[in-house]
Amino acid sequence: MNELTLLTPSVLDDYVTSVENRRWQQINEPAGESDTIFRTGAYVGSVIHVFSSLDRAMDKARDHIAFQEKNGKPVANGSLILASSLSLSKGRFDRSWHAPPGGLWGCLILADTFLPLFRNLLPLIPGIACCEALHQEGASNASIRWVNDVLLQGKKQAGFLIEGFRSPVHGENFHLLGFGLNLNNNLFPPELMETAVSLAQVLNRPIDIYLFTLSFLAKLRYYTGLLLYEEEQWLVRGGGDDYKGEHPLIKRWKELSDTLGKRVRFGYDVVRNPQYEALVTAIASDGALVLKHDDGSTSVEHSGEIRYC
Amino acid sequence: MSDEIDFDEILGKYHSDPYEYVDVRAVHTGKVHFLVEEGSQVDAVSGEWKHIPGTPLFEITRERNPKKITATTNGVVSSLCSEHEGQFVEAGEKLMTIRHPLKKKEIIEGILKEVLYIFPAPERAKYFFSLDVQSRIEKKGAREVSVKSGDEIIIMSLMKRDTPVYYNGENGVIHSVYFKPGVSVDQGAPLIGVCPADKLPLIQKVITRVKADWDKKNSTG
Repeated sequence: MNELTLLTPSVLDDYVTSVENRRWQQINEPAGESDTIFRTGAYVGSVIHVFSSLDRAMDKARDHIAFQEKNGKPVANGSLILASSLSLSKGRFDRSWHAPPGGLWGCLILADTFLPLFRNLLPLIPGIACCEALHQEGASNASIRWVNDVLLQGKKQAGFLIEGFRSPVHGENFHLLGFGLNLNNNLFPPELMETAVSLAQVLNRPIDIYLFTLSFLAKLRYYTGLLLYEEEQWLVRGGGDDYKGEHPLIKRWKELSDTLGKRVRFGYDVVRNPQYEALVTAIASDGALVLKHDDGSTSVEHSGEIRYC
Repeated sequence: MSDEIDFDEILGKYHSDPYEYVDVRAVHTGKVHFLVEEGSQVDAVSGEWKHIPGTPLFEITRERNPKKITATTNGVVSSLCSEHEGQFVEAGEKLMTIRHPLKKKEIIEGILKEVLYIFPAPERAKYFFSLDVQSRIEKKGAREVSVKSGDEIIIMSLMKRDTPVYYNGENGVIHSVYFKPGVSVDQGAPLIGVCPADKLPLIQKVITRVKADWDKKNSTG
C-alpha cells in the first residue's frame, strides 16, 4: 500500500501541533511566536492529493487548477500533490530527474499573495525545510547549495523548482513549487550515478517515508508562515523600499548552506554553458549571490546556478 | 504609429545634438557626497560579465551605511546639483546629468523606441523566450513571429523561480529584441519592441534612412 495515502491535512495538523511546534517552543524565540507563524502558514497542506503514479506533478497541478476553475470551484491555496513515482519528471532546462518509488515527489500550489520584496525569498524555503528535515533524520552533513539544491556528501539529494502559472479562467497567478527528494530510491540511471544520492544510501538504513514527509511538510508550512509573518511585521513597521536588517530566512539559509567561501563555476545553465569561475564572498540581503572575480571585481547574481570547483 | 514620419525632423534633432542626457538620481534617502565635478569624464560599467564598475559618481550614506554609486553610462558630467553636497536627500532626487555621446546603433535604437511598442521588464531578472516563441523564432526569425495581448511570450527567471510574462501591448510582430538569455535586465528596461506587421516596411525605411544619412555625414564631415 502507498503509505502516503494515510497522509491527510488533519494528520499534518496534529504533527505540527504535537511535534514541530513543541520543537520550536524549546528553541529560543519570542514566546508564542511559533504559534503565530504556524497559524500564518497553516494553509500549506490544507488539501492533500496523493497519487500512486503521475507523469509530472507540476502538470497535474496545472490541470487541477484549470479543472477546478472550469467547474466553478475554488483552488485551495496550499494544496499539495504527492506521488509515489513520476514517469516524465524533469529538472530545469529539461535535465533528467529520476523519480521512481521510494522517493518523495510532488508539487505545492501557492497563490501569489506575496509582496515583490518577499516573493524573491520563496525559493529559499524548500531548501531550508528539506535540509532541516535531513538533519533531524540524522544526516547532519546535509547542506544547501545556492539557491536550493540540497547536497549530501557532495551529491544532490533533493532538488526544487518554482514555476509561475496563470489560471486559465480567472487569470490568478500561482507559484507551483515542485520538489523531488531521494529517500529510499537507491538506484540511479548511469547519467545521474555520479551526481545524485539518496538519504538511505547515506544513512545506510531505510527511511520511514511517511514520517519524513510529515517532517518536511511541517517545515515547509513553518517557513512559508515565517515569510508571510515577516511581511506583515514589515508592513506594521511602515514598509518601504527594502527590508532593513537580515531577514530570518536569509539567516537560517546561511546557517544551513556551505556555499559561502566556496570557489564556484557560475552560469545561467551551468551544465551546458558555464560562464565563469569566482569566489562566493557573501549572500546579499535579497538572497543574491555575491562573487569575487580573480581580478578583484565583484558580480552580484540574482539568477543562475553554481557548481563547486 | 503614424504612417508618415518626418525623417528630416528626427534626423535634424540627432544632428544638432547627438547626445543622450542621462539623469542620475538618489537610489534611496541619505546624505550625499559627490565624487565627480562638472565636466568630469566618466566611464560605464565594463568587463566580460559587466563586473568592472563604472566611475564612482557619489556616495550616499543612510544610517551610517555608505554606498558608492558608479556610472552605468559613459560620457561627461554636464550638470551637477552641487547644492546637495553634504545634504540629506530623498530617494529619486536628481543629483547630476551625464551627457552620453550617441553611436549610430544607439540613434537607430532611439528612433525605433519612439515608433515601436516597447514591452518593458517587470522586474530585474534574467529573461528568455518561452519554448513556443523560441521555436517559432528559430524557424522563421523574430520578425515573422506575431504576438498579441495575453500571449505568454517570455519567461522571467529570478532566484530559480521561473515566471511566465504575458504580453500586454499592441498586436504585431517582434521587431527588436533587447535582452540576451542569461544576462540580467533592469526593471523597466525594454525587453522587445513590437510593431504591426503592415508597418514593418516603414520601420525598415527609418533604419535605411538613418544609416545612409550617418554614412553620408561621416564621409563628408
